[in-house]
Amino acid sequence: MTDIVEARGLRKRFGDFKALDGLDFSVACGSICGLIGPNGAGKTTTLKALVGLSDVEGDLRVAGRDPRISRHKLMEEVCFIADVGILPKWFRVNQVLDYVESVHPRFSRQRAEEILATTDIPANKRIKELSKGMVTQLHLALVMAIDVQLLVLDEPTLGLDIIYRKEFYDRLLNDYYDGNCTIIISTHQVEEIETLLSDLLFIDNGRIVLDAAMQDLENIYSEVLIDAQHYAEAEQLGPVYHRDILGKRAYIFEAVDRTRLRELGEAATPTVADLFVAKLRGANRE
Amino acid sequence: MNSLLPAQFVALLRREVLENRALFIAAPAVLALVLSVFALWAISMAPGEQLAAGVEYLSIMFDGLSPGEMAPMFLMPAIPFIMMLYACVLIYLLNALYQDRKDLSVYFWQSMPVSNLGTVLSKVVTVIAVVPAFYVAILFVVYLLAVTALSLLGLSYDVEVAGLGYMFMAAIFSLFLFYVSAFLAALWLLPTIGWLLLFSAFAKRTPVLWALGVFILLGLVEDLIFGTQFLGNWVESRSNFRQYIVLDFPMAMDRLFSYDMLFGLVVGAILITGAVYMRRFVD
Repeated sequence: MTDIVEARGLRKRFGDFKALDGLDFSVACGSICGLIGPNGAGKTTTLKALVGLSDVEGDLRVAGRDPRISRHKLMEEVCFIADVGILPKWFRVNQVLDYVESVHPRFSRQRAEEILATTDIPANKRIKELSKGMVTQLHLALVMAIDVQLLVLDEPTLGLDIIYRKEFYDRLLNDYYDGNCTIIISTHQVEEIETLLSDLLFIDNGRIVLDAAMQDLENIYSEVLIDAQHYAEAEQLGPVYHRDILGKRAYIFEAVDRTRLRELGEAATPTVADLFVAKLRGANRE
Repeated sequence: MNSLLPAQFVALLRREVLENRALFIAAPAVLALVLSVFALWAISMAPGEQLAAGVEYLSIMFDGLSPGEMAPMFLMPAIPFIMMLYACVLIYLLNALYQDRKDLSVYFWQSMPVSNLGTVLSKVVTVIAVVPAFYVAILFVVYLLAVTALSLLGLSYDVEVAGLGYMFMAAIFSLFLFYVSAFLAALWLLPTIGWLLLFSAFAKRTPVLWALGVFILLGLVEDLIFGTQFLGNWVESRSNFRQYIVLDFPMAMDRLFSYDMLFGLVVGAILITGAVYMRRFVD
């Protein structure tokens, strides 16, 4: 499988702050990749770099192009929803459709109108009159009506209530994703997208701290709830993280044989949220 | 797809008009309304003999003139509109590459396959060719009312002002002069357009302060280092209001084909290129 994104040694500074500190990663065509990281980890800078909106150092190829040189050409193949990116408030819904139809060669107005027909968004309303959830629905409808290779979503459901968030991801997966395109999503709400993802990237302090396929996680990571009498044995196996739960301790191990771990307690694959905390706290502990 | 393809470029121009309809349409429309109401009020309040004398004066002034010769006189009432055009365009240019960064809609605009060159050129063409067209349309309505009112006044005082058809043709010709004047003035002021767009694309806040501040600073530096005032003198030489008005075709040709114009166009093009360069990234 070829890679749609190849990034090597990406660096970006804002004054003294290193937003990206030698970022290396690649994203395979057809995958749904979650870019997970705490605030200030470099998620938004990374995603902006992918769509040519941030000037970063290093080697970067997206859909075969350098986004820093030919953003407008790249955007024929890539769609982007920014975390704070809002549709222009003065546009009416049908005007924004007119605009995208005129400037984007891969936009299907019919498809956008079909999607909008399933929502409560009136065609003649100004965007400033829509709720935040409706604006996100509209933006998603626009993006879903564009036939691109790569969809980049930066915290697309930020500030939305649970119903809109759920609808957003359901729609993305059921009505949009067909296995041909690639989706990169960054979000704080890891639990909500966990089941969507095929690949996982954890980012912290401008570096990738985890790069794995979701299906490989169970072979690499294990979480075991261990009684107090086995703490010493567990520590000897080099856990990456532990937390106390109701008088027991949940340990997370990396690349430790599960048959060995089952001697200490019930072993399972950690959730992405637990793994995220483990990797970040573990990295900070080092 | 090339962003200079006609359909896409028209969409970019349409975006400018929709976004700035208050500046481009509402402002001159309100001015037209206010001036028309004021004129009607003045006519209704003026004593009959004064009105009669005024109409008589106009009929003498227009006597024997062709519509083409009358047209420059018809530009007089357009002066407030010309001033408003410059004020609105100044506000527009300062915000053109700044406002979308301020309200963050730049992420939407930049997520479309539109080049920065196309975006910046759409702003330039809006100023040079599109905004004056709206003013012409609004002035057309104003002139239509004025010509009708003048003819009616003439009828009521039994004075033939200049003939309705003649005056109407003169009004149309003066609107043509208005458009050509605005078009040529915009080309003449291309360095100013480029300068404002450059700082609109550069400034993180208050582009007006950057545009003015850097200009003053450059002037001071030139004065301190070389003891000359070339920059200030050059700008002053291009800011005479009379340079912005074209009264006939030969004047338009003289204005268009001159080394001064060419030099200004080159400086303007360099500054506009700078604005395109500044527009590359959003961080």
